[in-house]
Amino acid sequence: MTVLEQVEAQIAQLSNRATKRNTGTIRSLADGVANIEGLSDVMYNEMVSFPGNAIGIALNLAQDEVGCIILGDIATLKEGDEVQTTGKLLSVPVGKALLGRVVDALGRPVDGKGPIDSKEACPVERIAPGIIARKSVSQPVFTGITAIDSMIPIGRGQRELIIGDRGTGKTTIAIDTIINQAKINKVGLATGDPKFRPIYSIYVAVGQKNSNIVRTIATLETAGALEYTIIVAAPAADNPANQYIAPFAGAAMGEWFMENDMDALIIYDDLSKHAVAYRQISLILKRPSGREAYPGDVFYLHSRLLERAARLDGKGSLTALPIVETLAGDISAYIPTNIISITDGQIFLETDLFNQGTRPAVSVGLSVSRVGSAAQIKATKQVGGKLKGELAQFRELAAFAQFGSDLDERTRKQLDRGARIVELFKQPASAPIPIEQQCVTLWAMQKGFYDALEIKNIIPAAKSLREFFATRKDPILAEIRAKSALDKDLESKIQAAVDEWKLTQPKA
Amino acid sequence: MKADKRTTQFARQLYKLSLGADGRLSSERVAAVLACIEKTKPARALALLQTYHRHLAAEVGRSQALIEHAGPVSDALVAQIAAAMTKKYNRPITPAPKPAPALLAGLRIRVGDDLYDASAHGALEQLATATTA
Ligand SMILES: Nc1ncnc2c1ncn2[C@@H]1O[C@H](COP(=O)(O)OP(=O)(O)O)[C@@H](O)[C@H]1O
Ligand SMILES: [Mg+2]
Repeated sequence: MTVLEQVEAQIAQLSNRATKRNTGTIRSLADGVANIEGLSDVMYNEMVSFPGNAIGIALNLAQDEVGCIILGDIATLKEGDEVQTTGKLLSVPVGKALLGRVVDALGRPVDGKGPIDSKEACPVERIAPGIIARKSVSQPVFTGITAIDSMIPIGRGQRELIIGDRGTGKTTIAIDTIINQAKINKVGLATGDPKFRPIYSIYVAVGQKNSNIVRTIATLETAGALEYTIIVAAPAADNPANQYIAPFAGAAMGEWFMENDMDALIIYDDLSKHAVAYRQISLILKRPSGREAYPGDVFYLHSRLLERAARLDGKGSLTALPIVETLAGDISAYIPTNIISITDGQIFLETDLFNQGTRPAVSVGLSVSRVGSAAQIKATKQVGGKLKGELAQFRELAAFAQFGSDLDERTRKQLDRGARIVELFKQPASAPIPIEQQCVTLWAMQKGFYDALEIKNIIPAAKSLREFFATRKDPILAEIRAKSALDKDLESKIQAAVDEWKLTQPKA
Repeated sequence: MKADKRTTQFARQLYKLSLGADGRLSSERVAAVLACIEKTKPARALALLQTYHRHLAAEVGRSQALIEHAGPVSDALVAQIAAAMTKKYNRPITPAPKPAPALLAGLRIRVGDDLYDASAHGALEQLATATTA
């Protein structure tokens, strides 16, 4: 055969293969949702191809019409355009090739760094692992935030909500946690220990201003954390359909790690905005609405999303940190209550604390982690086990002490100690502290090393102690890391080192 | 004009009334429905008529095979297609051939909202999306 004949034969083959497609016509278009006439064969959640580069997902199958949300560029679409079924469910690219990249809700790169060479794709909507496949949480995720790691510990596969008003530091905690994973990954991978399990992160930005997303990316990049992170961005300027899909796309990417015997962490920032996007879509699809005008199935929407975080027996894990924004600290509003009931605990951030300068503004009384203590390392339990109770008591006493002027000696001591713990837990943004350094600072607290200091000198002292260990006593830190517990021998080494550090300090 | 829920329902009932005993559109019944609308002047008559018309058009679409073709097609082929579609959909399908040079080569058949594409244009389009996606 000549080349010409070959091409002709191929063309003949192409044109002989009839493809069957089910079609429809756009009747109306609004806010990224199209009502379509026809599509009598479409399945629920099936991808529908629109002219141009847009993709729809059939969400409402009514008698005369099909309601589709549209992802991608909708500017060129108009009423009367023809659409076609694809026979496929919406899938996004998955795999390690996505690390270090910023993608949209469909997994397409938006960072201008060229195409993503991913070999696999996974459906965006999937049934969550069943009870049998799940394994209880027993390995830690260190946030690098002392207040959280010591009092509200998080385990791999856990779902821990970060909740609070706007500007209370929710995003900062999530980003710090990602940065801390990158730090741990670098140290762990450098040891060459085959048992070391890095944690990869996925940050899903929903309904945020573009400028905020850009800032977050810059923070991760500066901290060297981007290379272990996938960012899925569905900014406020995107139509609500993209915002609705983005968390599910991120979940699919996270599940890939879990299914392939790796550990991943996913942040949904935030699900309040996600719920609003879903409400908007539902409104256009004319679905009945309930409390606060949210559609009745918004609870199901979030539970099926968060159910996908798990630790799988014999495989990896996916830890989820969803974020919810409250109004005036009201956690009894519809979306907050829903998500609190779905998750394994919450980190509650308070505006008052934040404004007083207690940052991170973690409310010890209202924050819990229902499963994480099983994952907490013994060393942290040893040095920080009582802190939560002490701090809660301190808050009570402090409120009470405002009224009484002459306090007995014991109360005064308790208040003094509480104030020192509060001080020790203060931590700036983008500065996660390795768990072994946390242990050392808390150990020194437990042994009363800060008792003689003026309150304002505690933060600098703790910082100097950590730096002393990091630069001069790394073998001790490495030993804490390796043993995860403090035995007699290790404690006496810490004692000696702290004594040595004390000599470097100016006399009070 | 957008039809409200009641009008939509009413239009669907009128459409059902327009089908004869054989389950196919009866021109006699359609004429009767139209005459009745004319006489009673129901609320939102324009929206009602538009919706009713869409139902009729969809029904016509379902009972015919629109055969778009780039080159010439023989009567025998047209009859063959109609027979195959009648069998497939288990209802009488009348062929409606229509020349369509834009297809470049081959055929495209539409029955209701199903589209069977065996045209060069369709194949090229598929190739284009497969390589750009
Ligand atoms: N621990 C902290 N120390 C100092 N500043 C902080 C801390 N946490 C957050 N901030 C600052 O507070 C502001 C709001 O934080 P952000 O995480 O964006 O809040 P949210 O996500 O709750 O709206 C940011 O400017 C951030 O840098
Ligand atoms: Mg935020």
